[in-house]
Amino acid sequence: MSKIYGQGENQVNALDNVTFSIEKGEFVLIVGSSGSGKSTLLNMIGLLDRPTYGKIFIDGTDTTKLDDNKISSFRNNKLGFIFQFSNLLSDLTVLENVLLPRQIARTNNSAEEDAKKLLNAVGLENQMNKRANKISGGQAQRAAIARGLINSPSIVLADEPTGNLDSVTSEKIVQLMKTMAKELNQTFIVVTHDRQHFGDVDRVITIKDGHAFEGDLPSEVGVLV
Amino acid sequence: MDYFTIFVEYRLRLAKRMLFNKKGSLIGAVLAVTIGILVIHVNFVIFQGLFDAIVRDISNYRNGDILVTDEADYIDKSDLSVVNWFERIPYVEAATPRLSSTAEINMTKNGKLIEETRIPIVGIDPYRDIRASTVHETVAEGSYVFARNSIVLGSNVARDLGGAEVGDSVKVLVVDRNGEDQIRRFTVTGIAQSPGGQGFDYTAVVHIDTLRDMMKRDGETGSFMIKLNDPSKALEVKEFFLRSFPNDDFLAETIEESAEEQLAGFRSGIAMINMIGYFGMMSSAFAIVTIQMMLVNGKTREIGVMRSIGAKRKDILIIFIFQGMIIGAIGAGVGTAAGLGYTFYAKETKMSFNNSLPLEVSYNWEKIIQTALTSFVLAIIASLYPSYRATKLLPVEAMRTV
Repeated sequence: MSKIYGQGENQVNALDNVTFSIEKGEFVLIVGSSGSGKSTLLNMIGLLDRPTYGKIFIDGTDTTKLDDNKISSFRNNKLGFIFQFSNLLSDLTVLENVLLPRQIARTNNSAEEDAKKLLNAVGLENQMNKRANKISGGQAQRAAIARGLINSPSIVLADEPTGNLDSVTSEKIVQLMKTMAKELNQTFIVVTHDRQHFGDVDRVITIKDGHAFEGDLPSEVGVLV
Repeated sequence: MDYFTIFVEYRLRLAKRMLFNKKGSLIGAVLAVTIGILVIHVNFVIFQGLFDAIVRDISNYRNGDILVTDEADYIDKSDLSVVNWFERIPYVEAATPRLSSTAEINMTKNGKLIEETRIPIVGIDPYRDIRASTVHETVAEGSYVFARNSIVLGSNVARDLGGAEVGDSVKVLVVDRNGEDQIRRFTVTGIAQSPGGQGFDYTAVVHIDTLRDMMKRDGETGSFMIKLNDPSKALEVKEFFLRSFPNDDFLAETIEESAEEQLAGFRSGIAMINMIGYFGMMSSAFAIVTIQMMLVNGKTREIGVMRSIGAKRKDILIIFIFQGMIIGAIGAGVGTAAGLGYTFYAKETKMSFNNSLPLEVSYNWEKIIQTALTSFVLAIIASLYPSYRATKLLPVEAMRTV
């Protein structure tokens, strides 16, 4: 797929003929310098934006053919999001935030029970009734992970999940994501410029000038396309 | 969790929380609705109260609930038979005959002769009039007409006569049916002054038999004033009366019909004032649009987050429409309570127009509910545009907002 912003002389190829596939259960890091196009790539996979050319298949579905309503349902059912600033809704409690994707999905099978289990798993069992803006950044990011997992999505997408945290907290969040990925056999695609915190992962994709490369640059360079 | 929880509650909860966490915006929006409703209530209390007060006074002093006249100006049927006929009807409280003309009145005060012309003069039956009318209650000094030679002067007539007082003697000239002047001397027994001047302040009141004598109209009556114990039956009684005397040339009209004729212009004025009130309510709607646009702008990032985790455009639409409903419901509640409070105050303190005419304050529940519902619906309509704008935010753009 390609993503082009602007027209004529102002045209920018944010992503240029990027092609790759990810298997279920893989923990994939997308790395690259600032402005390389890694967040654009994540937005495309997360169906928050559409590619200018090309297609994105998730679980065999060509997502570029879906209309707005179906994309919303797809995001709700198949994708989980973890953002840099956690992006919990400050008007809701931690538990309500985690429940929100399930409520949007209108599926009610043991929603509260599942949410509490996840909050226990991320160590927030004592914080679940606090307002989201009354907990620390690290706790908010843990809650965001729980929210990203509540609907058992096919893929969890994380955009700079440690970008706003100190190194100790970052380490804990990385470990938590890795643990959850392993325990739940959950696919994680993580965009980060903070490569060293993640250590060993299943796979690394490096984005440079809109092109995708397999592995860490510069030592292991293999252009995907 | 039940169906309500799944499909409605989280949106309602979010709408509520977003709104209540922005107390300034909430108060502003609610105030806008409240003021719109209050303006309507205040207008209603003052202008409808004034209209009803005038109708009340016309009914109490001049027309009763039904006024019977004759195509030929004078009714020659015995007043006793007409009054008795009416008073047999259970809905009728009392009936009384009246006769009207104009007179010249003069009196000598401190050696000076003062003459007033074209004074309306009304002949009343002292025994029956006090049951069908409240004119006697407006006699501020002295007493009502009780004898054939007693006269009650309206306060303005008394003033124009140089300050006539109870006990003074006045000469009254009336032109009889043959065109001849008939003069009689009367003793002033009372001075009438009504709140708001709707009574007989500009009129002289005498015994009906005396006026009949002077006008040479023995046994004739100008009109009958009928007071009902249930005014809602006025039309029924009127029609029954007209059906019962098909061969006479009686005319009859209810107070509503009389008021409609006399106060048609006033009613148009009320309609215009009400329209201004509703325009005020529409201004409130614009205030809601502005405040909700601010709320939407303040929640751009949250909208982006919700869209990214799967909320559809219609979910966002519903959240902000719920906010409009909450604003409308609270505003309608507070506005109606404030309006009812003002109405209660006006009623209990017997609020008067221009410090004279006591307003006839009433609770018009149909109008109160209609006003509350209108403002509630307007608040929802006002929330449609901001809600629509919220749905148009692209998640990826909204997420960039800090």
